[in-house]
Amino acid sequence: MESESQAAPASAPESLVQEISALWGEHLNGREVGADDDFFELGGNSLIGIKIIDRVSQEYGVELSVRDFYLAQTPARVAELIEQGRART
Amino acid sequence: MRLTPGPARDVDLDRLDLFDLDLYSYGDPHPIWDVMREKAPLHHQVLPDGREFWSVTRYEDVCRVLGEHREFTSERGTTPTHVGVDDPAAGVLLTSTDPPRHTEVRRPIGTKLTARAVKSWEDSIRRTIVGFLEPALDGESFDLAEKALLLPAMVTGPLLGIPEKDWAELVQLTAMVTAPSDPHFKTGSEAATLAIAHHELVTYVKEWVKTRRADGHEDNSLLHHLMSVRPGGAPLTDEEIALDGYSILLGANVTTPHTVSGTVQALIERPEQFEKAQADPSLVPNLVEEGLRWTSAACNFMRYAVDDVQIGGGTIPARAAVVAWIGSANRDASQFPDPHQFDITRAGAKRHVAFGFGPHFCIGGPLARMTLRIFFEELLQRFGSIELDGEPQHLRSYFISGMTHLPIVAQKRKTP
Repeated sequence: MESESQAAPASAPESLVQEISALWGEHLNGREVGADDDFFELGGNSLIGIKIIDRVSQEYGVELSVRDFYLAQTPARVAELIEQGRART
Repeated sequence: MRLTPGPARDVDLDRLDLFDLDLYSYGDPHPIWDVMREKAPLHHQVLPDGREFWSVTRYEDVCRVLGEHREFTSERGTTPTHVGVDDPAAGVLLTSTDPPRHTEVRRPIGTKLTARAVKSWEDSIRRTIVGFLEPALDGESFDLAEKALLLPAMVTGPLLGIPEKDWAELVQLTAMVTAPSDPHFKTGSEAATLAIAHHELVTYVKEWVKTRRADGHEDNSLLHHLMSVRPGGAPLTDEEIALDGYSILLGANVTTPHTVSGTVQALIERPEQFEKAQADPSLVPNLVEEGLRWTSAACNFMRYAVDDVQIGGGTIPARAAVVAWIGSANRDASQFPDPHQFDITRAGAKRHVAFGFGPHFCIGGPLARMTLRIFFEELLQRFGSIELDGEPQHLRSYFISGMTHLPIVAQKRKTP
């Protein structure tokens, strides 16, 4: 991964990171997902990504950018994007 | 990749990496495929990550793999980017569906794209192409490969129902799908590039459908047609519409530009062929077929063996991935004598498999043929000569064989 991966400071609350990990797990055949697991190594693809982004929009009221989501690639960094999104609204 | 191969060379078939992107960016795959057809018509490769695939390179075997769905299924994915990983869209997407469902869905879509049906678009396509070529005639350098990326969107946009403001974005996204490692299109990792592009394209079609449903707008466009067809008596699901719409966008955008650039390059390198075509415009349809054969923009497609199957002098085990190398089949001397000669008068050029073979034969083939014919009619009528104005650059992809840059300078034809 390129610069995007280093950019995320660890400021999303632990609880949010856990919720996002669990949400991913739900869409990835119920498997255990860690905060720093890689979406694609877990078997993630765009059809799963579409569902996850929809859920984030419904449950957190944050519209994630498609590019940001796939470049973030881990629950911890997606939680970070949600934090940033909430801060803007 | 080079379309005019360099000299024959020794090839170590055991250490061959057909997915080496450098081979396509900077290299010369044809001499390798020549050796494969001759010595290893069935070839097995294990990728560094352990995924495996088999390759067929002879014309006859390529046709069989593409055409015989009972032996070689499409239902686990058909593009080499999915080798060894079941395509999540398989079985829904038309291109990843076997007959009989495939036949049922394809027939009503295909009625809009027959040679007779697309004929009604001829005049508007000709106006578009004349407009496209105009700037190339001002005597300045014109990057044909770069400009041509937008050509299919200009031609098919109105037919599909896609507004002009969206063309550039959609062209970028479809290019990301076919060449996720090319520096022109890569965004983050290759996996991220593919996912972003798939996601945005599918979402685009979904939104398009949602908007049309909401405002009750009906038109004659192909995407609208997808919403109204009833294969087997029931309408397509929203997911099918989105995925097939995506597939049509992809098919329209990613191949034709490379056939345009590669064929023009072949004509630049062979002024006698250019003159011959100019002297006799009735040769243009065959020039187009030879250009399709020569460029083979869709370099390969993939299938999965259903059971153990004998082919190319060996056995592919059940459930294994098989890549059918179209670019190689189109240079098989058993079908095309002197296969590495570009010859616009070649007899039997039309037997090429650049559009595939069998049930999944390119649904847009008639439209592509007509577009290319008009393109070369107009080019030959307007351009007196064409010269290269810099080094061509090749697409970094083992799936689509093409160019990202082909700078040319053209002179107006004096006596049209």
